[in-house]
Amino acid sequence: MTDITPENRSDGRDLDLGYHATVLAIVSLLVWVGQTIGPAKPLVPGLIALFILYLMTMVGLIITKYAPVRLPSVAWISLVGIILTLPWTPGSAWITDRVANADFLALATPCLAYAGLAIAKREMDVAKTSGWKIAVIAVLVMIGTYLGSAAIAEFFL
Amino acid sequence: MDKLKETVMDWRLHLTVLAITILAELIGIVQIPIGIGSILLLPLLYAFVFGLIINPHVFKLAKGWIREREVQTASPLIVIAIMPFIAKFGTIIGPSINQIIDAGPALIMQELGNLGTIVIAFPVAVLVFRMGRESIGACFSVAREPNIAIIAEKYGLKSQEGTGVMGVYVVGTLFGTFTFAILASILATTGAFSIEALAMACGIGSGSMMAACSGALANAVPEMEEQILALAGASNVLTYATGLYLGIFVALPLTEKLYTLLGRKTDDTPMTGESK
Repeated sequence: MTDITPENRSDGRDLDLGYHATVLAIVSLLVWVGQTIGPAKPLVPGLIALFILYLMTMVGLIITKYAPVRLPSVAWISLVGIILTLPWTPGSAWITDRVANADFLALATPCLAYAGLAIAKREMDVAKTSGWKIAVIAVLVMIGTYLGSAAIAEFFL
Repeated sequence: MDKLKETVMDWRLHLTVLAITILAELIGIVQIPIGIGSILLLPLLYAFVFGLIINPHVFKLAKGWIREREVQTASPLIVIAIMPFIAKFGTIIGPSINQIIDAGPALIMQELGNLGTIVIAFPVAVLVFRMGRESIGACFSVAREPNIAIIAEKYGLKSQEGTGVMGVYVVGTLFGTFTFAILASILATTGAFSIEALAMACGIGSGSMMAACSGALANAVPEMEEQILALAGASNVLTYATGLYLGIFVALPLTEKLYTLLGRKTDDTPMTGESK
């Protein structure tokens, strides 16, 4: 559900940093409102936490655009988050403490609102013509990947 | 710069999302006990449903407030809107690095569990539903973006295989968060698997599905929240890294082979259309 058409992937050299920076600012503000209402995160520390995540995301995007190694932007962004909070990274405890005021579930709420609004005619057409069989298969596919992974993990733990 | 201006100026879209977010967060997390466990309803799920309800493509009655322009503008925003969430997951993985290294072998091996789609869904598609080659596209993977790319490159999206992968992609887009949230919360309460294994399985290769899955799991077992999120996040990053290769080199050839084995060589009865 991360995006609707594969062509929308925002990876690579043509990534528009200004556009991303603006959209991320809007999204961060939406999350700020949401996480203050829902999980009742404190107002100002919450904003600081979201601002740190904003900076991490932008660093990840800059790496995506200019790094010689091509990886999807989400991989770079999570890598930035991981490296900055590793126990042996200087100042990692400070960062970990600050970002604790960003609620992880509330961070996904605006994204899914956009996703619901973005369902286009094409997606509805596919759903209608492919019919109930593909819906059943899709659910089995999801159950399959989940049970498969859980079973193997269980075996090796 | 036009794209930027258009996106920022579409205040109607952002205000709608603001209203949806506020409403979803006000409702909060709801827990519904069922016989074998309990189902967790999360604000992110309501947000998606509210978005669908006022989307004119989904409900004809909703025409008016949300126009084609908003639908168009919203689409590229989804990938960007999930990015701060991905960064947050990075900050959960970092401090837990030692636990993740300890879980190392299990974490890496469970990536092979993604082949479970072939074990469970493929026989039903071919033997029960008598589907043609679209069963290959539908069942070789969980049908997220990298998997669509594989099919698009090998068969084209207008082929039968393409119909299969797009069908599962769309159904996953519509119901994936629900399915994984419900699966995770039920399995967490039945005790058939350890919580660590269930957390690793949440790394599906989609930010929002992982969010729903690990969110449901963390709410079912709040005392293990940090560990659940760290393992799910690490597994998800690993899936981003390995999913494409597993698909190209293992899953797709395996599905092709099984398809020939099950005795359906050429098939000209595509299931699309007959289900009208």
